[in-house]
Amino acid sequence: METDALNSLVTGAIWRAEQLEARGISSAGHAWAEVSSLEEELAKALPASGPEGRIARRGSVRAALKAGDYVRASALLASYSAEEAAPESLKAALRKILKEEDAAMVSRFRYATKQHSPREARELARRFREFGAFCLAA
Amino acid sequence: MDIDLALLREMHRRLPPDVALAIVGRAALALGRNGHSPGLTMPVDVEPAVTNCVLSWPMADLNQANQHDENRITEDGAEAVALAVVHRHRGWCVVRRLQREEHADWLLEGGGKGGRQIIALEVSGVDRGAIAARLSQKLAQVAMSLDVDGRWAGVVGFQEPAMALRSTKRRKRGN
Repeated sequence: METDALNSLVTGAIWRAEQLEARGISSAGHAWAEVSSLEEELAKALPASGPEGRIARRGSVRAALKAGDYVRASALLASYSAEEAAPESLKAALRKILKEEDAAMVSRFRYATKQHSPREARELARRFREFGAFCLAA
Repeated sequence: MDIDLALLREMHRRLPPDVALAIVGRAALALGRNGHSPGLTMPVDVEPAVTNCVLSWPMADLNQANQHDENRITEDGAEAVALAVVHRHRGWCVVRRLQREEHADWLLEGGGKGGRQIIALEVSGVDRGAIAARLSQKLAQVAMSLDVDGRWAGVVGFQEPAMALRSTKRRKRGN
């Protein structure tokens, strides 16, 4: 798909996600997941050496986090950081996005994060979602 | 200079039709609830000069205003006016919307001596009162945008209709 069409789609998707989020509607997470996918498509079409490519890469990771999908955000970070054309400033910006997410989690769950690091807590949450409560006892 | 908000989509071909329709509709509500009618003369302060423009928009049913969030009427309405003004005054076109963490609402493109320029534009609306203080806030915000050639903020006032558009000092592209 050409970048003009992707830019129009990501514009509409961000606008819808913002409208849903502003009203506290729970499906905002799904809307941000759509934004993340479209940003990812833009990132495929635009090189990391160009400004719009860098904006799309940051956007893809951020929107994945807004969708509550830390696993996807981490995978995107790893993938974009491995790109040859990715400048160091982009890699640092992407790492900062995930660090800030970790810091937000630590401040929201101060007592829980004394027992588990943010990464461990997310892994437990993922296993709970995928396999149910009994997997945590295993 | 005449600016017709009904033509917003023709100015910005990458703006999705539903988004254009919604923000123009909210601009009509923001202007209408302040007692203004199409054909309004509005001072536009775009550096380096202040000019008057004649602003037109499709009429909206003010009875529908209570179906919208009040802040969204002001903010989205301001976006419609600002996007129309930057197109008419500077010839800039929308590339895409930005997530808020990019410190701007819109990524625009324009031509210049050095070729294609990429501009971050942060927009805000003020329903009541002066726009100067908000403009300072928004300039400070957009100054943090990365990977752009120009950083601009635009604020639209609806009670006393006015718009101001300013740029911050250019920073080197982050690469």
